[in-house]
Amino acid sequence: MSGRWLPLLLVVTATGSASLGAQSSQFGVRGFGLPMRPISVRASGTGGGFSLFDSESAVNPASVAQVGRLTAGFQTVQVWSRSESPLGTATIRANRYPGVIVTGPIGGTPLSLAISVSGYTDRNFSLASRDTIELREVPVEVLDTITSLGGISDFRLAIAYRKSPRLQAGLGFHLLTGSNRITSHRVFTDTLYAGASERSTISYQALGISAGVTGRPIRFLTLAGTLRADGRLKVERDTSRVTSTRLPVTVAAGARVELSSRLHFAGGAQFRNWSVADSGLVDLGGVGSVNTTEWSAGLEFLPNPSRPARRPMRIGFYRAGVPFEVLRGTRITETGISAGSSLEFGGGRVRMDFSLSRVWRDGGPDYSERATMLQLGVSIAPPGLR
Amino acid sequence: MKGGRDLGSWLGALVLAAAACQEQLAMPSRCPDLCPGEGLLIRDTVLLPAAGRDSTFTGYIAAGEVSALLVSNGLPAGDARAWAIFPDRPDSIFVVGVRYAYTVDSAAMVIQLEARDTAVRGVYLVMHRIPLELDTTTTLEALDAFLTPESVVDSVQIPDSLRSGDFRLRLSPEALSRLEPDETDSTRFAVGFRISAPVPTGVRLGSNLTGAPLYSTFVRVPATDTALIRQTITITADGSNFAIAHPPLTDPDLLFLGGRSGSRTLLRFNLPQFIKDSATIIRATLELVPSQPLIGLLNDPSELQVRAVLVDFGAKSPAFAGAAGTAILESGSGDTVRVEVRGPVATWLGPGGLTPSLLLGLAPEGGTFSRPEFFSTRSPGGGAGAARLRITYAVASRPGFP
Repeated sequence: MSGRWLPLLLVVTATGSASLGAQSSQFGVRGFGLPMRPISVRASGTGGGFSLFDSESAVNPASVAQVGRLTAGFQTVQVWSRSESPLGTATIRANRYPGVIVTGPIGGTPLSLAISVSGYTDRNFSLASRDTIELREVPVEVLDTITSLGGISDFRLAIAYRKSPRLQAGLGFHLLTGSNRITSHRVFTDTLYAGASERSTISYQALGISAGVTGRPIRFLTLAGTLRADGRLKVERDTSRVTSTRLPVTVAAGARVELSSRLHFAGGAQFRNWSVADSGLVDLGGVGSVNTTEWSAGLEFLPNPSRPARRPMRIGFYRAGVPFEVLRGTRITETGISAGSSLEFGGGRVRMDFSLSRVWRDGGPDYSERATMLQLGVSIAPPGLR
Repeated sequence: MKGGRDLGSWLGALVLAAAACQEQLAMPSRCPDLCPGEGLLIRDTVLLPAAGRDSTFTGYIAAGEVSALLVSNGLPAGDARAWAIFPDRPDSIFVVGVRYAYTVDSAAMVIQLEARDTAVRGVYLVMHRIPLELDTTTTLEALDAFLTPESVVDSVQIPDSLRSGDFRLRLSPEALSRLEPDETDSTRFAVGFRISAPVPTGVRLGSNLTGAPLYSTFVRVPATDTALIRQTITITADGSNFAIAHPPLTDPDLLFLGGRSGSRTLLRFNLPQFIKDSATIIRATLELVPSQPLIGLLNDPSELQVRAVLVDFGAKSPAFAGAAGTAILESGSGDTVRVEVRGPVATWLGPGGLTPSLLLGLAPEGGTFSRPEFFSTRSPGGGAGAARLRITYAVASRPGFP
C-alpha cells in the first residue's frame, strides 16, 4: 500500500460510521436493529437500483474496479420521521453519518482497492411506558424509559480486478463490530421513591466475506451479482459473552441498461436469509427474524454524458423486507422513493451528491412509520493523487 | 454566473448542515410486550438491627456548651432552672475619647427566647440574684436552694404573642439595687432564672452559643455636650447554663435521645450482600416505635436526625455528613416515627460502601426538653417493637436484548 493512502485511511478509521444519539425507528428496537443499506448518496437517489454498479456503495466489491483515481467519500443523512403505534405517535428528527469510503486504483496493476465503513444495522431507540405497580401495599405509578444508542458497523476492505472493460471481479473482507449502549430508567410519580437507572453495553463482533462480479455481455447491458457470507455474530453484554448467533447470507443480482447515452436504467434484487438468526434471537428472549427480499430500480439522466457528475437527475424506488418483527408473525415492509442529483467543483475533483427520499414502513395495521431523508455526500479526489 | 451557482450550492450545503440538528424523543410503548426487556425490578425488604447491637450513648455535649438554657416549672419532661454570670461592669466609660465616671439611671436584662409552648399564656420569667458559686456540676436542687423569695430581683411576663426572639426585663430602681455588684464577689454577679405559669410548661432561652442574656445599664455622664450625656453600657453573660432533673428511664433497655449532655443511638444492620453489590435504593424508611408518648415540651418539636457512620467505633462513630434523614418529633405523640433515610442507606452500597449502621441524634442537641424513648432489640417481647428498616430497592433487569 502506498504511503499516499495513509491520511485517507486515517480519516476512514477515525470517522467510522456514526449515528448520533437519536431514535431512528420504532422498527429498530428488535433484533440487531434496523438494517441499513450500505449505498452511496448517488445510488440512494436511484432507490438503490444502481448500487451493484456503484464504486462508492459497499454492495458489490467488483464495482470498485471502475475507480479511475483515488477518491474519498463521506455522507450524512438527516431524517424526519413520524411513527405511529397503538399507544400513540412520535415525531423524530435524527442525524446520522452512515458511510465513509476511500477507493482508488493500485498503480501499475489492474487492481483497485476500497476501504469503507458503513452502517450494518441501526439500533437507536427510546421507548417510554407507563405502569402501576404495588409498593408497600400501595399502588404507585411508574414511568419507564429504555434507550439504546448505537448499532453495528461494517468495516470493509475490498479489492477488485479489472480483467477488461467488459469483466471485473472483486472480493471483500468484512469486520462487523458495534455496540448498543442500553439505559433503562424508572421514575415514580410518588416523590418518596427515587428514580433508578441501569446501564449496560451489548457489543457485537463478526467477520464476513463477499465476492462479486460485473460483466457487460453486450454494449448497452451490464450485469452484476454478489454473494456475501457473514460468520457468527458474537454478542457480549458488558464483558460477558452472551451468545453467538448466525448472520445471513446475502445474494444480490442486478442489471444496468443504457437506454441512450444520456439515460440509464438499473435495477436489482437482493435476498437475505435472516431466518438463520431466528433461533439465536429467540433464545436471547427476542422475537426472532425472518428472511428478507429487496427490490430496487432507478433511472439516471445525464445532461452531459462526458461529465456524468454534472447535474444528473436520478429517480428510483425500492421495496424491502425488515427482518426483525415487532410482533411475531407481523411482517414489516419498507417502501421508498427517491430523487437526487450531483454537483461538481474544482475541475471535477470535488463532487457533492444529494438525494431526497420518502420512506414508508409498515408493520401490520398497528405500526407504521413515515420518514423523509435528506442525504448529502461529498467525494474528493485529492490533486496529484492517482 | 457559474461562480454564483457554485456559491449558492455551497451555501445550500451549509444550510443543510446547520439544519442537521438532532433530538431524541421517546416513543410511547407498552412494556414488556413491545420492549426489549422489562424495566428495573423493584423489591421490598425489612431489616432489623443486629440483635443486642442497637445502643444508646451519652455525653456528646460539653457541660459548658449547651445550645439553649432550659427553664421549666414541673414539666414532666424535666424540671429545669437556668443561670447566667455577668462580668465586671466598668466604673467609668470613654465618650469621644474622654473618660467619664457615670451615674446609673436604669437597667434592663435582654433575653433571647428560643422556643416555648405557645399554647400556654401568662408565663413569667423570674430573675433571682444568686451567689457566684455555680458551675456546670450544679444540680437542680442546689440551684433551687438559691431561688428563694428573698433573692427575687424582678420578673417579667413573656409576651404571649412572642414565639421566639428577644424580650426585655426592665429593672426597677429597687431591683437595680439588688443587682449591684458585690465587692466581695470581685464585682461580678450571677442571676438565676425560673418561670412561673398557670400550668407546667417550659421555655428555651439563648445560651452562650446561641445568644446569651445581655445586661444593659443606662447611665449619665457629665459631658458638656448634652447629646453625649446619656450612654448605655451593655455586658453579655460570659457564663450560662441550666440544671435539669429528667424523669428516669422507664426501662434501661430502651433506646433514647436528647438529654442535657446529648444522647445518640447507633443501629447496626446486617445488609444482604446482593443488595450491597447489585441494588439501587429507591426508598428506605426507618421505623421507630416509642415506648410511651414522646416526652418533651408541647408545641416545641425537635428534629430527629439519622445519618450513616463513616466507621463503627461505637460511641465515637463519626457521622457521615453528606446525607441525613430527618423527622419532626412532636411531644405527646405515641405514633410510630418514620424517617426517610434513603440517602444514608445508599452510602452502604458498592465496594466502597460505608458500614451498615445508622446514627440517630436529636437537634438541637443538648438544648431541648425532648427525650424520646424507643423500643430496642432487648426490649420485652423479643424486641418485637425494635427499630425496622424498610428498604425498597431496584435490581437490574438487563433489558435491551436483541
